[in-house]
Amino acid sequence: MSNRQAFETLVVPHLDAAYNLARWLLRSDQAAEDAVQDASLRAFRYIESLRGADARPWLLGIVRNTCFTALERTRSGPQHVEFDETEFEAALGEAERSEADPATRLDRQRTRVQIDAAIRALSPPLREVIVLRELEELEYAQIAKIIAVPIGTVMSRLSRARERLRTILSQMKLGE
Amino acid sequence: MNLDDEELSSQIRQHASRYKAPDGLRAGIRAQIALAEAGRASRPRRRWFDFGSLSFAGFGWRTASVSFAFGLACAMLVVPVVQRWNFNESLDTELVGDHVRAMGAGPLIEVVSTDRHTVKPWFQGRIDYAPPVFDFATDGFPLKGGRLEHVRGNAVATLAYKRDLHNIDVFVWPSDAKTLPVHTIYRGFNVLHWADGSMQYWVVSDVESAELERFAQLWRAQTAKQ
Repeated sequence: MSNRQAFETLVVPHLDAAYNLARWLLRSDQAAEDAVQDASLRAFRYIESLRGADARPWLLGIVRNTCFTALERTRSGPQHVEFDETEFEAALGEAERSEADPATRLDRQRTRVQIDAAIRALSPPLREVIVLRELEELEYAQIAKIIAVPIGTVMSRLSRARERLRTILSQMKLGE
Repeated sequence: MNLDDEELSSQIRQHASRYKAPDGLRAGIRAQIALAEAGRASRPRRRWFDFGSLSFAGFGWRTASVSFAFGLACAMLVVPVVQRWNFNESLDTELVGDHVRAMGAGPLIEVVSTDRHTVKPWFQGRIDYAPPVFDFATDGFPLKGGRLEHVRGNAVATLAYKRDLHNIDVFVWPSDAKTLPVHTIYRGFNVLHWADGSMQYWVVSDVESAELERFAQLWRAQTAKQ
């Protein structure tokens, strides 16, 4: 199997997962596309190192490294705050606007906007564990490997992230 | 102990947005992979991320021949462009000459700064265009500064980068053309040239071609963002 075929069968099926992670981390379509493109090329260059291992966590590991490099470079992500106040305010405004719009007044839609806004308001390290655990449904051990931290750290980040989410969501409910 | 909060988890799983990779992105990645394969040759690899055990086997003849075929295919795509620009051949020679002279006699750098916000304004008033300036220190290609070179009677913005102990010069000047990177070797120096519709770039270095391609990749990703 050529490297290109290997890339096609092993990596390409996980591009949605790769894009989902990048999009959540970088919060912009363009930045996410750039990161996934960059990460894919790295994945292609190192595809021989995969050797039968599960390609999804491997690719996601490359993607998240690319994203964090991008975040550091642009300093667009406040990495050291647990909770982004301005992002949260903006998200609240967005949630209110969408409620005012009759076309989107469905409950479901509102819940989605609120949940999305709450996740977006998390700092990148917390947002990352939530996306990997809840949306990509990965095991703790896989997440630990992807972000290169001990399992205990994954667990503590997850529990902090969930606590923040619960707080943000209850604040949103109060605001309704 | 189950750490998961079932209620919150199911809420997130049910309601949070899942973003799908756009089709254009897939197409772009496939094109990029084809290009990368065209450009690859047997070479030592360096690990620059950690994930499990990495090991790089050498390439067999089969890979080499596939690479060659892709290279040929890509060369056929760019031949018309190169023919239109046949003055470029001697431009290679000239730019490699400039690069070598700067390394030997200097100045390699007239404005010494690793800050692109210092380097970029330095060119103002010296040339009649504003070259893009990036720093790729986090990717191992730190910006060292810039200088002016005189190429065919025109002042040309030249940016100096380092890769370990190697110097990389990037010559930038305006061009309406849009071309993919073309790699040539002149007296052992790798030369990569491409144009993005606003500027044309000539990258000259004695660093190995794979590294130079990666540098070009980083550069092109940055200009695409602007």
